[in-house]
Amino acid sequence: MDQVVSSKRTLASLSMLVFALALGAAAYLMVNLNQFDGELPANWPVAVGLWAGLGLVTWLVVRLRLPYADPLLLPSVFLLNGLGIAMIYRLDQATDPPMQSGRLQLMWTVAAVAVLLAVVLFLHDHRRLQRYTYLWFALGLGLLLLPLLPGIGHESHGARVWIRLGSFSFQPGEIAKIVLSIAFASYLTEKRDVLALAGRRFLGIDFPRARDLGPIALLFGVSLIILVFQTDLGMSLLFFSLFVAMIYVATQRPSWAILGVLMVVALGVLGYTQMNHVRVRFESWLNPFADPDQNGQIISAQYGFASGGLFGTGWGLGRPYLTPIAKSDFIAAALGEELGLVGLFAILLVYLIFVARILRASLAAREPFGKLLAAGLAFVFALQVFIIVGGVTRLVPLTGLTTPFMSQGGSSLISNYLLLGLLLTLTHQVRRPQPRVSPEEYPTASPAVGVPVVVPSPASPDVPPAAGADDPTEVIEAVRPDGPPTEPFAPIDEPPPSVWARLPRRGGDDA
Amino acid sequence: MSDLVVLGLKLLFLALLWLFVLFAVSVIRTDLFGRRVPAGQAGAVPAPPLPAAAPAPRGRAARLPTHLRVTAGPQTGLRLPLGDTFLIGRTADAALVLDDQYMSTRHALLTRTPAGYRVEDLGSTNGTFLNDTRLTEPRPMGIGDTLRIGRTTMTLDA
Repeated sequence: MDQVVSSKRTLASLSMLVFALALGAAAYLMVNLNQFDGELPANWPVAVGLWAGLGLVTWLVVRLRLPYADPLLLPSVFLLNGLGIAMIYRLDQATDPPMQSGRLQLMWTVAAVAVLLAVVLFLHDHRRLQRYTYLWFALGLGLLLLPLLPGIGHESHGARVWIRLGSFSFQPGEIAKIVLSIAFASYLTEKRDVLALAGRRFLGIDFPRARDLGPIALLFGVSLIILVFQTDLGMSLLFFSLFVAMIYVATQRPSWAILGVLMVVALGVLGYTQMNHVRVRFESWLNPFADPDQNGQIISAQYGFASGGLFGTGWGLGRPYLTPIAKSDFIAAALGEELGLVGLFAILLVYLIFVARILRASLAAREPFGKLLAAGLAFVFALQVFIIVGGVTRLVPLTGLTTPFMSQGGSSLISNYLLLGLLLTLTHQVRRPQPRVSPEEYPTASPAVGVPVVVPSPASPDVPPAAGADDPTEVIEAVRPDGPPTEPFAPIDEPPPSVWARLPRRGGDDA
Repeated sequence: MSDLVVLGLKLLFLALLWLFVLFAVSVIRTDLFGRRVPAGQAGAVPAPPLPAAAPAPRGRAARLPTHLRVTAGPQTGLRLPLGDTFLIGRTADAALVLDDQYMSTRHALLTRTPAGYRVEDLGSTNGTFLNDTRLTEPRPMGIGDTLRIGRTTMTLDA
């Protein structure tokens, strides 16, 4: 019997990683060369050595523990992180004396890599996470609402999404995004048949029953709370869209997506009409030059892009520091100025490759939990990049989210490396060699005996009605060669249309 | 440094950045299709044993099985401890939740009796097979017997 094997791609992943580390180090050195007229700081071998060592140790541990993990995830992340640190270091040089946030970001990277290695060493199989559905829900929603607690909640730049303990501040939404992806994936693995099967048909689309709307209504409520009390439209939309995307992937029903998009629009309209904060963001998106004092940041970013042009000014030669918070929210503008359109597009392509690899793992996964988890994480990651880069480039209204792996900030780095650890584990499990199931072993479903006849189970008398919704949706039997099928075997050409229409469309995903 | 060198380095950096993207795309291209190899060479996972008619179990009362092991199917290698009862099905309270389209909510039940384990089909849609015979009534099951549900086969271990 044959087996399908994904290659380990050891050489490819190592050479890509070395390439990524070299690009990060080159960016750092070029900042120094261009800023100090060809002179390097005294401690550059330490910085570059630490950086290279960090990357190679991570690669080695991942290679030993998860040999089949996707070869491109780690190099992409190290490239993005390296360019981010170089840009933060470059922005440090704008003040006199220079700030030390570049060095701090490198230290945070070390801490984040430690978190990644802990996940890689101790998790090993993502399916272990599936057991604690409601615990994950509680944890995720708790983290989301934590900044509302008086005492530790902390408001900054008009959004209450931070908690502060002593001198240490943290954005719990970043972790909540991962925790809730796990919660949704394990919840939907359990419930997707009910959500997909039951419902009534209206305008040619199957709509869910009112009582199955509970979870989506709950999530809508939570998003509303975030919108109203944390005044953060971006975060609120991110979480709600994540749930809608995952329920759509799980049930393959367009009605959920339509319903979700309508609710997203409702959130936006509500924010725009009821909240001054959101209206200001919309104004600065559509018409920034009407009020240069208020929209100085976004105007400055646009001028940065313009002065960068196609090929950019070069590392350390532009003036990206003129834009406020260029190190975190507006790092895309700083990179666009110094690397130009060509460089920024390469970076966006690296993000695209990262997301594509996760979606590929989702397609290849053989069990529904892994499939849903990968799809959800890919979606929330891509949406976050879209919201923040789109906001900075004025494609969509600006909301303060971090640019994953690049923005300054420990909580963002740590949670994104946590996500990377989860994805490495997942891709390892997905790409591992698995025995292939051949039809000869299973005479019940064997095409060798005769053409299989598919009978919709609601018509089949031996299914207890109470369990019907969760049971296999079809009885698969072989035609016996000695005669025509008897009573429960309906002819395949003429299925009862009412029953047929209610069957979930499974595009052969788990077959 | 001269302007020419600065310009050269800038363009070189951008070229290398794009080279990284192109290399990544070429890795994706060569990775699109997994290789198909004969079972013996794959190494990491042994080929699942074919469900064969097992010899009659001996000394069943003396040596009760303690674990159930999945030998073929999507969850190959899974090994779970047996209790007084062991429910297989899709429901959340089942001891073994199989990822299998052929599985019913409450599919089959293993029960401990003084003489050993007994397996019964709980009215499943697609049936439960003990040593390739469809279960119509509760049957004793011991070490060496093969239980099959859909694409998944299981055996009992001591």
